[in-house]
Amino acid sequence: MSSKRAMLAVLLVIVLSTMVFTGCAPAKSDNQNTQNITTKEELILAIGSEPEDGFDPTTGWGRYGSPLFQSTLLTRNQDLKIVNDLAVEYKVSDDGLIWTVELRKDAKFSDGQPLTSEDVVYTYNAAAESGSVIDLSVMKSVEAIDHYIVQFTLKQPQSTFVNLLLTLGIVPKHAHGKDYATNPIGSGPFKLVQWDKGQQLIVEANPEYYGSAPAFKKLTFLFLGEDAAFAAAKAGTVDIAYLPPAFGKQAVPGMRLVTLNSVDNRGMMFPVVKAGGTTKEGIPVGNDVTADLAIRKAINFAIDRQALVNGVLEGFGTPAYTVCDGLPWWNPETVIKDGDMEKAKKILSDGGWRDTDGDGILEKDTLKAQFTLIYPSSDQTRQSLAISVADMIKPIGINIAVEGKSWDEIQKMMHSNAVLFGWGSHDPLEMYNLYSSKTAGIGWYNTGFYSNPIIDSYMEKALAAVTEEEALEYWKKAQWDGNTGFSAMGDAPWAWMVNLNHLYLVNEKLDIGQAKIQPHGHGWPITDNIVEWHWNE
Amino acid sequence: MINIDALREKRSLGFRLPRFNRRQQTLITILLMIIFLSSVIVGGALLGNERIATNFETKNLSPSLKHPFGTDWLGRDMLTRTLKGITLSMGVGMLAATVSAFIALILGLLAATMGKWADTVVTWLVDLFLSVPHLVALILIAFALGGGMKGVIIGVAFTHWPSLTRVIRAEVLQLRSAEFIQVSKKMGKSRWWIAVKHILPHLIPQFFIGLMLLFPHAVLHEASITFLGFGLSPHQPAIGIILSESMRYLSTGMWWLAFFPGLSLLIMVRAFDILGDHLHMLMDPHHAHN
Repeated sequence: MSSKRAMLAVLLVIVLSTMVFTGCAPAKSDNQNTQNITTKEELILAIGSEPEDGFDPTTGWGRYGSPLFQSTLLTRNQDLKIVNDLAVEYKVSDDGLIWTVELRKDAKFSDGQPLTSEDVVYTYNAAAESGSVIDLSVMKSVEAIDHYIVQFTLKQPQSTFVNLLLTLGIVPKHAHGKDYATNPIGSGPFKLVQWDKGQQLIVEANPEYYGSAPAFKKLTFLFLGEDAAFAAAKAGTVDIAYLPPAFGKQAVPGMRLVTLNSVDNRGMMFPVVKAGGTTKEGIPVGNDVTADLAIRKAINFAIDRQALVNGVLEGFGTPAYTVCDGLPWWNPETVIKDGDMEKAKKILSDGGWRDTDGDGILEKDTLKAQFTLIYPSSDQTRQSLAISVADMIKPIGINIAVEGKSWDEIQKMMHSNAVLFGWGSHDPLEMYNLYSSKTAGIGWYNTGFYSNPIIDSYMEKALAAVTEEEALEYWKKAQWDGNTGFSAMGDAPWAWMVNLNHLYLVNEKLDIGQAKIQPHGHGWPITDNIVEWHWNE
Repeated sequence: MINIDALREKRSLGFRLPRFNRRQQTLITILLMIIFLSSVIVGGALLGNERIATNFETKNLSPSLKHPFGTDWLGRDMLTRTLKGITLSMGVGMLAATVSAFIALILGLLAATMGKWADTVVTWLVDLFLSVPHLVALILIAFALGGGMKGVIIGVAFTHWPSLTRVIRAEVLQLRSAEFIQVSKKMGKSRWWIAVKHILPHLIPQFFIGLMLLFPHAVLHEASITFLGFGLSPHQPAIGIILSESMRYLSTGMWWLAFFPGLSLLIMVRAFDILGDHLHMLMDPHHAHN
């Protein structure tokens, strides 16, 4: 027994000290992989997490754009303007119900078969039937008019339908089966060679790709954790590595830091109904404390967002006031003067909250101003944000208990506790899904059961709008119309905190072009313009 | 014997210590360990939460006089976190080790007094649990219970009893053949009566020493399971959490995040080990020399 323990102790010391020493050792910057190759044709990337469900667009792969193996009908350029990809032209009828898309004739799948309207029809029907995160409920039918013309008929006009044309990668009708997710065939710039689950993904340039050929013939994606990716970058074994903001200040020889702006946001979702109800599955709904508007508003005004950016994100981020800061449908009036403790205290006392027993936590009748904030325990940044915000809020008399849980556990608690979520998309439909009373309790959307008929009607109008400008007007009004809205000045069902910058360490010789503002999900979106990447010797 | 001991002492230390005999040395060591451990516990309990509140102005500081263990990436004082973490770990370990020792006591008694059938079952159980590595069984139990404080305590309690059970069973078997037990049996006392009145009092030293020796084991396993992410929630200031969090920052050169808490854990566990060994020596000198 005793010697075993002594062994254990010695072992622990050895492990600990090796960790310390390797941590301190200067990185060897000689990059053996690249030394002998004159024209670099292979890249090794460690840019983040593995898509566990595989690479099938009809079940959600690439829903933030850039499906890599497949291509989409339309795409967004660097300024987020919509341009053609597989399509050569698209038209919307005056009533907004009929969308006609004409395809290019030279597109081929990586197995050599041509891509025709049949494949597009098949893809959209398969996605509609999959019951996945892709919401095609507005689509009445999709038909092939001829070999290269597709016609979509909608049940009602929906301005955000264009986002499906932007994100849904087209799959081949002849080669789409059960194992498609692990063996995708598409018309994108790359084709899959090998996928070792949990380790790496190897892809090669698709010779059939209709666009300009990528400069790299082979890419290897390593699925490494944040610290392992950083260590790999230090050791010079990867050409590009993603980086958590906490490591952003670390210089690595031979690599440069690239920071990309994003709408990848983090915020606190509040349940806005009173406790007592349950969902159909019996999961409790509602929280008496966060159902109180004064609490939600006070927290929104008390959070010092810039301090979070500087403190937790090391400056690699921006304050977030809504789910869509900086996007075309964002209403700039929603920016509040935050970090204002006096205002927060006033809101609380006006709301009837007093500290009657002198313990520093406010009460209203018998209700104590305390609730639990849950965060996914695997996410270091969210943990730091949660702990910091809880400490930030304490002086105004609200006690937030912070708890880390797994995603499975969060699903059972997210209707009755505040949760630190992250969103961010180039599609305003996401905003609709987060705030509409119709999506209350559906999946990860509107988990707080927020509902406001005025806002619902604004958002329905925005969806039904035929022109983009008209839609934008209604999206902005839903956030704040002067009287109400779902931003912090109105009903405040969320306290948004920060937009993260996406950080990458990139080999000094690798040019990754001009990336657009990144959506949620650190990693895959950067491959969006991979065709433009090249190596400078 | 005494001469050799004295010589050895002289040679190793080079100066004369006040002469204490074995027993006195043991007592002094026990006293020192108790003072050390209780000061850690009291310190952990007395320290307020102010020093582990987030403070972005003092983040990532290396060890200094103001922050002897440095601060972390949220500006929390690592000394306070370590003390609180050790206190929490000790609480968890104490509870789990106690439950474990009681399980061992009951099963050991049962096996040795309740006949062949009970003995077979208990021995089988002991063999079963000893055949599976502690940590594997621990992870399975904690995971099945959904992690958290409850999962860790139950997990540690249910995996650490087998070796002590063996010791107690052997002790009881030996006792059973003692004369006074045989006499009691002949006088018609029931098995249960004999077990409680005659055998149990003899087991108390074994029980307490077993408990003391289980304890560091329990703490280390609590820390390792939490380190692996199956234990306590990441915001609790447990030592396993501190170590696993620090791992991510080691590559940035913040060595103090793992070094001091890890060292403290080792010292603490070793202190309990010494305490247990010395208690053993004090209460059961013959066994201790084996």
